[in-house]
Amino acid sequence: MNNFKDFNWSIFVPWLMLAIIGLVAIYSATQGPVSAFLPSYILNNFPKQLVWVALSVVLVLGFQFITPRSYMQLSYLFYALALILMILTFVFGTEINGARSWIKIGPISVQSSELMKIATILATANYLTSRRDISAENVRYALIAVFMILVPTALIILQNDFGTAIVFLSLIPVMLFWSGLPYGVSLFIISPALILYLTVFSWVYGAIATVVLAVLIFVIQKGPWLTGAALFTGALTVFGVNFALNDILQPHQISRITAFTNPNFDPTGAGWNVIQAKTAIGSGGLFGKGFLEGTQTQLRFLPEQWTDFISCVIGEEFGFLGLGLLIITFLFFFIRMLSMAGNHKHPFAQLVTVSVTSVFFIHFFINIGSATALLPVIGIPLPFVSYGGSAFLTNSLMLAICLNMDLHKRDFSIYR
Amino acid sequence: MKRYNTDRTRTSIIVLQVIMMGLCLIVLGRVFLLQIVNYETYEELGERNSIRQEYVDAARGLIYDRNFNLIVDNQPIYSLTITPSNFDEANIPLLANLLSVPDSLIESKVKEAQKYSWYRTSRLITDIDFMTFSNIQENVWRLPGIGHQIDSKRNYPSKMKASHILGYLREANENDYVKSKTIRLGDKIGKSGLELIYEDSLRGELGMNYLKVNAFGQSLGSFTKERSPLPPVQGDNIISTIDSELQFFAEELMKGKSGAVVAMDPNTGEILALVSSPEYDVSRLAGRIDTEYWQEINTDSTKPLYNRAISSRQPPGSTFKPLMGIVGMELGIVTPTTEIYNSGSYIRGRAYNDLAEPGSYNLEKAIAYSSNTYFLSLMDKITTSGKLNQWSSLIKDFGLGVPNKIDLPSANQGIIPDSTYLDKRFGKRKWSLGDVLNLGIGQGLISASPLQIAQMTSSIANGGYKITPHLVKATQLPDGTINYRKAEHTKIEWVKDIYLETVKKGMRRVVLEGGGRYYANIPGIEVAGKTGTAQNPLGQDHGWFTSFAPIDDPKIVVTVFLENSGFGSISAAPIASLVIEKYLTGEIQKKRMYVYNYVLNFVPRKQSNKENE
Repeated sequence: MNNFKDFNWSIFVPWLMLAIIGLVAIYSATQGPVSAFLPSYILNNFPKQLVWVALSVVLVLGFQFITPRSYMQLSYLFYALALILMILTFVFGTEINGARSWIKIGPISVQSSELMKIATILATANYLTSRRDISAENVRYALIAVFMILVPTALIILQNDFGTAIVFLSLIPVMLFWSGLPYGVSLFIISPALILYLTVFSWVYGAIATVVLAVLIFVIQKGPWLTGAALFTGALTVFGVNFALNDILQPHQISRITAFTNPNFDPTGAGWNVIQAKTAIGSGGLFGKGFLEGTQTQLRFLPEQWTDFISCVIGEEFGFLGLGLLIITFLFFFIRMLSMAGNHKHPFAQLVTVSVTSVFFIHFFINIGSATALLPVIGIPLPFVSYGGSAFLTNSLMLAICLNMDLHKRDFSIYR
Repeated sequence: MKRYNTDRTRTSIIVLQVIMMGLCLIVLGRVFLLQIVNYETYEELGERNSIRQEYVDAARGLIYDRNFNLIVDNQPIYSLTITPSNFDEANIPLLANLLSVPDSLIESKVKEAQKYSWYRTSRLITDIDFMTFSNIQENVWRLPGIGHQIDSKRNYPSKMKASHILGYLREANENDYVKSKTIRLGDKIGKSGLELIYEDSLRGELGMNYLKVNAFGQSLGSFTKERSPLPPVQGDNIISTIDSELQFFAEELMKGKSGAVVAMDPNTGEILALVSSPEYDVSRLAGRIDTEYWQEINTDSTKPLYNRAISSRQPPGSTFKPLMGIVGMELGIVTPTTEIYNSGSYIRGRAYNDLAEPGSYNLEKAIAYSSNTYFLSLMDKITTSGKLNQWSSLIKDFGLGVPNKIDLPSANQGIIPDSTYLDKRFGKRKWSLGDVLNLGIGQGLISASPLQIAQMTSSIANGGYKITPHLVKATQLPDGTINYRKAEHTKIEWVKDIYLETVKKGMRRVVLEGGGRYYANIPGIEVAGKTGTAQNPLGQDHGWFTSFAPIDDPKIVVTVFLENSGFGSISAAPIASLVIEKYLTGEIQKKRMYVYNYVLNFVPRKQSNKENE
């Protein structure tokens, strides 16, 4: 480590805090009175996570001795290797919870999509910053970058891991935006997602959003063609979603959507998770029911309470104070990460840091959004908090890379 | 070179920070909404999840006989319960296998429970033996949604059956639990007899217990810290008027016969014994329903479920004659000394046979020898003097032809014709003397139940007082206080002592000289009675005997009705006399053991004459 004082402690400390909050919640979710109703393999989750956290602390600190330039040099190779691993996983992998995303290498199970996340960010960032004249304003470069992201996304969809695919897709607007895509165009790219989200509730919301976004795009970009295109895609999305809901989707798919918009419609079936999650959080109140005292957690009403619904455990047992602290900690962490990106001179470091932050943020937002019924239930873990060795390690690895580049930002020249 | 433009970088960072902050605030707001604004809603939801209300059954009230001998109590049994929302229907075969019953049975029981409620616990199957129960307890972790509870079933410690009095319990059906707030699916409620009539007192009040349960419906002990349980209130005990020893004795006598015995205290209307034969075994209907037995007694051609003592409707035959005499005197048609000549038959339109020896008869003698001529002539005069309706209403004062108020279901009111009834039956003025005349000897359109004949006899025996026959004399509240029932005892105003004296003398002579002399004359006990035969167009006549003793201070009235047994004097009378003797002396004297043996081995004789005795 170059300089102990230069290390970005304002990011490292919240990170460690999140890990500790996670450990407390995992302890409650698996070692509390609820342990009587859990299968034995889940009982090891807490000690395992403890090991992963310790290992990650060593990893993050150890990474600070690496020279940042090696990320750029190795990024394409890493990307290729990760893609091969993805394909191998698809062929030989084991299926867990309906997703074929784990592969056994020797004694360890690895979630290949987690490694793919780092590889994709590094490779795409490296491509977009490899020459001065590359800008996302140029359609050719933009399309190549999108292609680099879409290939692993397609593989992840084949693995049947819908949640992770969304995370990958969300990299597209972020990375293009950062690489010079005009604000208006960036807004145009994400507008269908927003409109889709609102149309699920009612086509009226979707229509209003279409108009509002088109006006916004016009104000930012002053381009009548782009505005027209935005209106057109918006309308297409509203009609498409309506058509899908009414004519294309199968009843079981519809029921998942209804479970989100109106969980009480089928409280014992598709709506069960949503209702139990909301009940856990809501019944926590201001101060919570106390550590190991949450009835939803300890009586096993919560699904996947050590991973996807970990925030419910915190909300129930530590109340609004606990869950609020978690959210504030995350917010502080994200803001600091982005500020760190802004301090970089080198575009690669900037882009990687922004992308990593976005990935963390998307995970955070979808996870807590699912648990609080802001979003349909999409099973992805809360970074650094949920149980899961692969995810914790790779997330820490991404953070380590960002911290490492920050530590070395002075001798990390913008010129090759 | 836009992307190295530091302005653009700074703006972009701020744009991203603002977006993330905004979304974080949305999430925080959402959490605030759930945890602070809607806290109460979710707190309640959470509590409903983890606290299950469990009803605690109240112990059903006990039933005692008149001497405080326990005749009905409760016995614990094991039941399985189901909470359909937690139950996985894929487990039906496993459960059926553990219980050794067909899958289809469990399937239909589960359906029924789902129909009742998805979230409330109800009984799946009751009265399972201990081995099966412990076997299921070992496997209960494989059967989420299945629980157990200890229930109770009715137990009958006394020797008697008394099925028609006590009645049985059955599981409440959809109708029952929809109507009542306190009845749940699978609860046993009274469906006949005293269990039905006194259901509300016997049932008591459900208690409530709060249990902590997990998502699989497993109970994790009670929740007493947060909520205090509500203890159940035990049902009231019932003290019946039945003398269980006498009831058992009468049941034994009626074995193999078809008919009824009613024994009651003529002064209070308390029923001492009430037998309807053939009987069924109420203890086989306790606990889990023995379907085979239930079907058997429901389809049996002898109708064991039918309570002949209160529901059968038969012409009273000659047992009606004493009351005829009383009404005849009140209507001024005869006096105690009026003599009517019997020539061997009474001719009016046609010849009515009279088996009594030819000669002159006053009322007392006419009762003693059951002369038809006397009462046919009496009825003739009543009708021709236009007093038929008056006759009818006076008869009704003795409890015939009107509903009796006994505390048992499905009592029958019988028929005492008047002109309205006859107009309705035959058409206005389409009936004639010939349709009415034989009412005087208790035949034809007139009908009554054994209980009504006993009630009529009681009013004669007790000096002309109206009484209400009843089976329960007191209820005992859980705190021990006993509430006695007030027995009706009102004088029938028009009845004069002279009427009763004359009739009673006649009835005494029935036992001394007439049809009762063979079997009903008990040495040392002054029995009075009247035999009777109900004409039965469908087969053998039915025998009647109604009696009371001792004549001067009556303690007991016994009415016996035997289907297809011929003359009452040789079929019903011996049974009545044994019941009287047993009640008054506690035993059957040695020299009357032949009567006892005669009754036990009684086979109805073929009879030749149907007209009278």
